[in-house]
Amino acid sequence: MATVRTILHLDLDAFFCAVEERRDPSLSGRPFAVGGRPDGRGVVASCSYAARRLGVHSAMPMAAAVRLCPTLLIVRTDFAAYRAAAADVMARAQRITPVIERLSIDEAFLDTTAVPGDGEELAARLQATIRDELALPCSIGVAANRLVAKIATEVAKTRTKTDGYPNAVLAVPPGTEAHFLAPLPVSTLWGVGPKTADRLAALGIRTVGVLARWPEEDLGRRFGRHGATLARHARGIDDREVTAAPRVPRSVSTETTFPRDVADGEALRSTIRAQSSHVARDLRRAGLAASTVRIKLRWSDFTTITRQVTLSSPTDRDAAIRAAAESLLLASWPFGRPVRLIGVGVDGLREPARQLALPEGRPPLDPTREHAAREAVDRLRGRFGEDTIRWGRP
Amino acid sequence: MKVSCLQDGLQRALAQVSRAVATKTALPVLSNVLLSTDEGRLRVAATNLEIGITTWVGASIDEEGKLTVDARLLSEFVNTLPNAPVQLSSESPRTILTVQSGRDKAGINGIDAEDFPVIPSIDAEAEGFSVEVDPQVLREMIGQVEFAAATDESRPVLAGVLARFEGQTLTLAAADGFRLAVRHGELTQPVPERLDTIVPARAMRELARIIGDQTDPIRIAITPNRSQLLARVGETEFLSRLIDGTFPDFRQIIPREFATRLELGREAFQNAVRRASYFARDNNDVVRLTVHPGEEEFMPGTVEVSATAAERGNSQSFVDASITGPETQIAFNARYLADVLGVLKQGQVVVGVNGANQAGVVKASTAEDYTHVIMPMVIGAQ
Repeated sequence: MATVRTILHLDLDAFFCAVEERRDPSLSGRPFAVGGRPDGRGVVASCSYAARRLGVHSAMPMAAAVRLCPTLLIVRTDFAAYRAAAADVMARAQRITPVIERLSIDEAFLDTTAVPGDGEELAARLQATIRDELALPCSIGVAANRLVAKIATEVAKTRTKTDGYPNAVLAVPPGTEAHFLAPLPVSTLWGVGPKTADRLAALGIRTVGVLARWPEEDLGRRFGRHGATLARHARGIDDREVTAAPRVPRSVSTETTFPRDVADGEALRSTIRAQSSHVARDLRRAGLAASTVRIKLRWSDFTTITRQVTLSSPTDRDAAIRAAAESLLLASWPFGRPVRLIGVGVDGLREPARQLALPEGRPPLDPTREHAAREAVDRLRGRFGEDTIRWGRP
Repeated sequence: MKVSCLQDGLQRALAQVSRAVATKTALPVLSNVLLSTDEGRLRVAATNLEIGITTWVGASIDEEGKLTVDARLLSEFVNTLPNAPVQLSSESPRTILTVQSGRDKAGINGIDAEDFPVIPSIDAEAEGFSVEVDPQVLREMIGQVEFAAATDESRPVLAGVLARFEGQTLTLAAADGFRLAVRHGELTQPVPERLDTIVPARAMRELARIIGDQTDPIRIAITPNRSQLLARVGETEFLSRLIDGTFPDFRQIIPREFATRLELGREAFQNAVRRASYFARDNNDVVRLTVHPGEEEFMPGTVEVSATAAERGNSQSFVDASITGPETQIAFNARYLADVLGVLKQGQVVVGVNGANQAGVVKASTAEDYTHVIMPMVIGAQ
């Protein structure tokens, strides 16, 4: 018999808001949102539980949020601070197990099968550590697989009746997965979007329990391969492993929608330079190099173009990405044309590798030094913000 | 001019010189081959100004003369003729070459021989610098070195092969900035003083091709102004321009001592590198060597040859090796490793490394005449 696994799903509660609140305790209990400005085209990146009760939710245009909640406080997004806080959290998780798979900035799976102790106790201990050492709230689901652990977190958050952060822990004991899932709506399951939910509802299937009892062959006929997955998930079965190795992203990109269209070449260039540095830093964080650099431009009429160039050798260096992005801009921006959105992205990601050159009489170059310099810049920005240190222009 | 020769001899001569015919040129005469009568033989010559090839065909000369005609057209026509006598004739000052064999006849429009560049002959240079070398040794030397030369012209000296004549030794060296190949060979006679010349790598390859199976010693001469190299290979003379400049001092690039030294079977190593290279293709051709010494002293160790491509997969091969020094890891471009392992003749090779950021050396374990230096690749957060 296979070992019963213990999987923890860690989810930071209203993460961006929690970080802002930690920095400015006066925000506590008040409706506020992290995101762009309402007079521009900003959207809500995250909002406090007080704001949520008034109907504000993430991804909502900030202007709409303000209409719903005129007293809404708006805090400017500070990704550098969130990334740093998330890294602190993951470091605490690392103390429990090295088998961690990050799903996003504020969410991760931990496989604690090999760790002695009860899963629920481990979860409570991790939650306490993150709260005591980092003053950040989180919720944790515990189960024998990823699917059920993640759903446990969601359920735990909704079940907790509080005005503030849920700070919930919920464990689903092995063997009770199907029972736990049975009363939940089918849309709780991965892979059940509005379309699938509608088709299931047409069959009278609204809860996971009904889905679990439905003949698997029939689901297979109606939904193809997806049907078999649905049937397994409905019974709380999910064999996928928690893989500690970071998933290799296929591309890294960043883009900016200007509050007002920009027709000034210097402003566009300076945006693209900052974006290039940003992308380069994300690459270095992921330990990757890119072989293609692309830029994206959206004109005021919403038509969008992308232009790309393949580099002679893959890079994770600001200067190389910046030079490529700038020359793409130069080649594709008709002088004076207003730009609504501009972005820089890289593809063809691979392990960075650089062919060293023969020393030719000079003392051999130390390739670690350049890297150390970039690391230092990345750390400064991570700690004090994006604008702490900038590239000079020759 | 009125000459008669055998079809197969003429065909062979035209093929031999064809490699020196310019393909894209602003100077039409360079796409031509020069035909001239020369002391009872027919001289056939071509040049693209970088190299020149001259060869001679036995012929009966009825009337002296010379003319140039389109090399490709003449070759194509002659190649289809039967192996029988061919008559070549022209009537000065007209520049039409008549080629006749039995009932087949062609008139090829040519260009006056006076417009053809002068190709120096080795006899005329007898006064200058001249050496003799075994043809098969020279061919092997060129093969072991020329591929390491740079293929782009951004640094002209690196697009060439250094030929250093010193004492009784000829040294060939080539480097493209990332790797260096050095081979020593013996001259039949010592030279009075050291002479360095840089021959374009392409020309070296041509010379090796012309040498072919030739066994008679080759005479090499350098023009007194040091601008051209001449080589006499049997009935053929080869000429190359020389690259102006100073070749980097390669001797101080070659590491003499190694932190970790491995000795392993060339073929097994070569196969392991080839297997890894298929995976390395999608990852900058990076092949990793992980050296695991034996558990105890004098116990054989293993070299792990591995490659990973994020989207395709990975491979590991293990090759037995005798290892001195500590465990280490280094990454090389698969192509560079494959190139050097392909030109080593001996069964056992030695690889010497001094850490992941320092030059590695590959050479034969039993011969000291060839050294190949490869700079490693650095991976990830180094």
